[in-house]
Amino acid sequence: MSRLVALIVCWMWLALQAPAANAAEDSARVQVADPYIELHTGPGRGYPVFHVSERGEWIAITLRRTTWYQVRTDKGVEGWVNQRQLVATLNEAGERVAIAGPGGDDYLNRRGDFGGGIGRFKGEPSTKLFGSYRLSDTLSLEGATGQVQGVFSGSSFWHVGLGVQPWSDRRLSPHFGIGLGKFRNFPNQSLVDAIPVNVKMAQASLGLRYHLGARFIARLDFSLYTAFLGDSRSAEYRAVNAGIGFFF
Amino acid sequence: MPLFLRPFFLAAGLLVAAGASAQSSPAPAPTEEPVVVPQVQRRDVKLPRLPSRDFELGAFAGSYSVQGFEAVAVTGLRAGYHITEDFFVEAAVGHAKVNDETFRKIFAGTVLASDRLSYYNVSLGYNVMPGEVFFGRSVAKASAVYLIGGVGSTQFNDRRHQTLNFGAGIRLFLRDWAALQVDMRDHIFSDDLLGARRRNNNLEFSGGLTFFF
Repeated sequence: MSRLVALIVCWMWLALQAPAANAAEDSARVQVADPYIELHTGPGRGYPVFHVSERGEWIAITLRRTTWYQVRTDKGVEGWVNQRQLVATLNEAGERVAIAGPGGDDYLNRRGDFGGGIGRFKGEPSTKLFGSYRLSDTLSLEGATGQVQGVFSGSSFWHVGLGVQPWSDRRLSPHFGIGLGKFRNFPNQSLVDAIPVNVKMAQASLGLRYHLGARFIARLDFSLYTAFLGDSRSAEYRAVNAGIGFFF
Repeated sequence: MPLFLRPFFLAAGLLVAAGASAQSSPAPAPTEEPVVVPQVQRRDVKLPRLPSRDFELGAFAGSYSVQGFEAVAVTGLRAGYHITEDFFVEAAVGHAKVNDETFRKIFAGTVLASDRLSYYNVSLGYNVMPGEVFFGRSVAKASAVYLIGGVGSTQFNDRRHQTLNFGAGIRLFLRDWAALQVDMRDHIFSDDLLGARRRNNNLEFSGGLTFFF
């Protein structure tokens, strides 16, 4: 493990050496159109303003982090400017340059989401991680993995499947999904002669998603899990889950 | 004039003007249409795709205290994505070897089926105190204190336990693409290692390097 860590650190070091060399070529030159822009020392509103560029000055945008842009003025001053102050910049032809954010601000154009939540699985506390990728406006590919800590045993499961959001353009959007996966149940170690279970399972869920501002979603799900314990035996579990995630 | 009063003055001015024009004779209606209607085609110019540094990848090492046993060394990897300037998500995996030496000295036997402890988690972080750290008179580096919490799983004694984690940390940007990260985390899960259900609070203190790309 520690060897793997060392290897990955070396790889990251090498990977990051390369882009630093050609960073200058990727920059975009624009003219300030706001009355002034404030240059912060770091990419965030908490970092102090140390320089101000006036309208008409030329700046080169070199890097983006979230909604902050690293700019270099003609005088060689480097700092971070918020996207709000750059929405009206002009290019060399005097045209307005639409500086777009990191993307995903608009939930209508979301490509997928990822998140985690907590809930109850047959009355026992559970945790769940979920992700989905949008295939079309209403259809998405989904996956989830979860764990349940019961009094006598612990369970873990994963499933992949399809999800449908018939009103996917609504901010509050109902959601329906079905999937297949695996269900594992391990009895607690203090129990004697209990048998672990490792079987296939099917899943159906009904839920609500709310697309909050700033790229977040909140979701509430009610799920029905069917574990195929044997040729003629199955068990059903009901679960509710509340979670938060982000869309991209 | 304060900015927020401007619409009121403007509205008042318009009312006065409207009253004045109602009293005088009606203004002559514009008789001539402009001969040439300018057709302005606006081009939406998009910037070239700028390099961004929203993702991070890092390695960390530190001390992980296993409740009931000793504190042991832990190593791990983390990957993160900065959603906004305030919020980020982080996935981490960690690995440690449980040491039950004290336990064995007292009971002359072990309760552990395996000394392997590993965990993974996905957490949401919030930058509470973005600011600067000063080294001497002329060097200032950007930094951020964050609060973080999430869900995950801990494999301890050959069993997986669902785990909640809470903590705080500080990130110190050495460069635009590299940061030092010191993190304190409480991993909470329950098990029945000693025959009864108990809640574990495993505290972890780690430091590492994070790279942004």
